[in-house]
Amino acid sequence: MSLISSLIPALADKTAAADTGLKVAPRYEINETPESFSLLVHLPGVSKDGLELNVDQAEVRLNARLAWRKPEGWTALHRETPDATYELVLAHESAVDADKVQAELRDGVLRVTLSKTAALKPRKIAVD
Amino acid sequence: MRIIRYTQPSGRTYCAPLARSPWTGLEAEVNRLFEAALSDTAPAETAVRFPLDIYEDAHLTTVRAELPGVDRAAISVELADGTLQIGAKRVHKTGDREETVELRRSVRVPEGTVQADKISAAYENGVLTVTLPKREEAKPRKVTVAVA
Repeated sequence: MSLISSLIPALADKTAAADTGLKVAPRYEINETPESFSLLVHLPGVSKDGLELNVDQAEVRLNARLAWRKPEGWTALHRETPDATYELVLAHESAVDADKVQAELRDGVLRVTLSKTAALKPRKIAVD
Repeated sequence: MRIIRYTQPSGRTYCAPLARSPWTGLEAEVNRLFEAALSDTAPAETAVRFPLDIYEDAHLTTVRAELPGVDRAAISVELADGTLQIGAKRVHKTGDREETVELRRSVRVPEGTVQADKISAAYENGVLTVTLPKREEAKPRKVTVAVA
């Protein structure tokens, strides 16, 4: 059934139309300091509950759902935003210490501080 | 009075200001297309354009604008001459350098359809919602007509 409804959108269950399964990459920015990477992601319409951030040895994975749904009886006159979930996957090749991650979501902007692993941090070597 | 010899305007003199290259217009169009396509790769914080949606139901029109990370106090919503103006500011910090990005968009609102004194706006999760209640006259009305 899902195959048919994906081929012919008109047959798809209209109540599930809000969750289109569509995924878009959010706008993001990465800045580097000697100690860490700071990741800034624009996630308009996402609240804390809809946000999922996973950091492991190989990648940073972000999934975010929109908190707002079009109320029943409203018609869209003009749309420029997709009804999609945000997905962002950044491979870091163990450059990031997964235990030291700080994240803050405010006004639709997620700021993540990813500490570099000890091997990547600049080290000053004292010369005897 | 001076007498100036009349010269027949030729195609070439007429085109003089544009005569740099016959492809100027095309070049500009191609540049514009490339800029539009590449604008998505602009850094998030300094992107000037912001998307908005417009919804409607029987009683109100709602404009939802995606404005993540803007200064809440500097958001301005104005309705004048049938145009709804949305303005915002975003401060972008890179190191010690600060850069303010001005964001502005306008939406045409047909005059006489909105109760201008009852417009409200809210900013939540980086989305600005402007609610424009419709005037009684602009609401859809159901008229029952008795057929004799």
